[in-house]
Amino acid sequence: MLKMNNVTKVFRTDLVETHALRDFNLHVQEGDFVAVTGPSGSGKTTFLNIAGLLETFNGGQYHLDGLDVSNLSDKERSRIRNEKIGFIFQGFNLIPDLNLFDNVDVPLRYRGFRSAERKRRIEQSLEMVGLASRMKHLPSQLSGGQQQRVAIARALAGEPRFLLADEPTGNLDSKMAHSVMDLLKDINARGTTIVMVTHDPLLAKQARRNIFVRDGKVSELHEVSAFAEDETAASKVANSKQ
Amino acid sequence: MFNSSSWEVGPILRALMRNKVGALLIAIQIAVTMCIIVNAIHIILERQELMARDSGIDEANSFHLISTGFANDFNEQVTIETDLNTIRALPGVIDAVQINAIPISGGGWSMGLQTQPGAEFDGVGTAVYMVDEHVLEALDLELIAGEAFKPTHVRWRERAQTNWPDQTIITKAMAESLFPEEPWQQVVGKTVYINDNEPILIMGIIDKLQAPWVGWNNVEHAMLSPEKTLFSSSRYLVRTEPGRRDELMPKVEEILAESNKGRIIRDVTSMMDTRERSYRRHGAMIKILTTVMVILTVVTALGIVGLASFSVNRRRKQIGTRRALGASQSAILRYFMLENFLISTVGVVLGAALTIGLNIYLVQAFSLDRIDWYFIPLGMLVLWMVGQLAVFGPAKRAAGIAPAIATRTV
Repeated sequence: MLKMNNVTKVFRTDLVETHALRDFNLHVQEGDFVAVTGPSGSGKTTFLNIAGLLETFNGGQYHLDGLDVSNLSDKERSRIRNEKIGFIFQGFNLIPDLNLFDNVDVPLRYRGFRSAERKRRIEQSLEMVGLASRMKHLPSQLSGGQQQRVAIARALAGEPRFLLADEPTGNLDSKMAHSVMDLLKDINARGTTIVMVTHDPLLAKQARRNIFVRDGKVSELHEVSAFAEDETAASKVANSKQ
Repeated sequence: MFNSSSWEVGPILRALMRNKVGALLIAIQIAVTMCIIVNAIHIILERQELMARDSGIDEANSFHLISTGFANDFNEQVTIETDLNTIRALPGVIDAVQINAIPISGGGWSMGLQTQPGAEFDGVGTAVYMVDEHVLEALDLELIAGEAFKPTHVRWRERAQTNWPDQTIITKAMAESLFPEEPWQQVVGKTVYINDNEPILIMGIIDKLQAPWVGWNNVEHAMLSPEKTLFSSSRYLVRTEPGRRDELMPKVEEILAESNKGRIIRDVTSMMDTRERSYRRHGAMIKILTTVMVILTVVTALGIVGLASFSVNRRRKQIGTRRALGASQSAILRYFMLENFLISTVGVVLGAALTIGLNIYLVQAFSLDRIDWYFIPLGMLVLWMVGQLAVFGPAKRAAGIAPAIATRTV
């Protein structure tokens, strides 16, 4: 699904040259759930941006779903983001002036779906996150956990094969974080590949596979045999938030 | 390919309704701008139409001057005859005439003509030009019915004399006003009355000759009276061959001044200068209105740029998120252009109502003409275009926002 070989990313200013990623290698299989952890400044977000085609890179190769995305135009990258990738952001990134229905509708409009199809998908995805009854509400009328669920519904409405989550529980309390993680695991169980960036090792352990990034490189990579027991995970998440 | 789903009219409208103050202010600004611009253009075109009217004379090749006698032995009649003979004999001069008033100059004589004698009947106002038999050639007038003056028709008018010659030539417009029921050709030979009871025979009709007062409603009403005036000052109007006016103006002035030391020659002025002076207020009005229009349009455009720039800066994260969710650069550009189009639409619809309202007021208060219907859609189109041009820069900047901004936490 995702294959990065020797990907490098350098940020340059007049005075400084920063190597955000150096020979970054990662292979994510279809249906996998990978957690990417590492200290601040290690390159996690840069990796996420490149994986999600939000940013270009300077060297190496990146294949997404079998397609070499190294030299695509901005328009092509937009299309692939829209069709293949779902994004979940730490700050939810819902559009405050739009109600839940219109928020989930945003990527579907860019996809060019007709009105009836969009409506079906919006209702289905909001139903899945348990917010179908509140589709006329504004984001400001929801709790943080509910807003993140809306963001997940928005990410899923286009039925992407690949979900990128950037600290998805970072702004949530432990109870809500638990519920969001459950949702992500459920989504993964249905076959969607998930790559989650987090600074929280306990949260990362709930993924199938963990990678640790340091100084722009993958420094550790290990399998987690199965999802941790729900109760244990919830307790760890709660502890990590305290 | 056109895809209606990517035109986010509904979401944009709903979002605007939740943040309506800024958008409403811009819409009102657009409405006021449209109202003022459309009415100003209407006034400008009306003024330009006035300024473009043909006075009926050969303005490009004509000039006029005043001869004022001051010597005790100054003989008006001899001087006038000598002067006219001298001017007419000059190479390059087509003809010259003594005239009591200059068309479109702002000063002249007027009388009323009526079709029935008696003080109880109203007359039709007309400018009066006292001229001799050279008038048609000197002013380049076209006689379209009847006869021209002959030398025998022309009399001398004393300073205190109040009666009138018994023939006249009038303009076609005057003929139609005097006898609205009859074809103007049949007005020749009819008798009209001046000073209530003095009969005058209409012996000819000229196509066109404007009165001295350009703002007068009856500016096309003029009558030629066959007489030369024995006043202390005489006006001469001289028509030259094409291209010789400027050469002859100082020459005529010099010759006349030299020929009789008992008078002064003054106000040697071309008809083009006379026209410019008469319509100067109109010209100034056009310049002022044009300036106001330009300033207003620029201020409105800047307002749109300001609102759009503010909106783009406020929504950087949102734009990045949209890009992350699959919006292409052109989709972001289209979003802001469409948002502005919707705001402008509210503005121009409101503006159309205001424009009509202001025009009704101007028609009632200042007797302006009613605005032509097509000014409204044209005004709307212009304001839409101004809006789209103004928002293009900020929208382009928005389209350039990187999608990676979506993952930034600050």
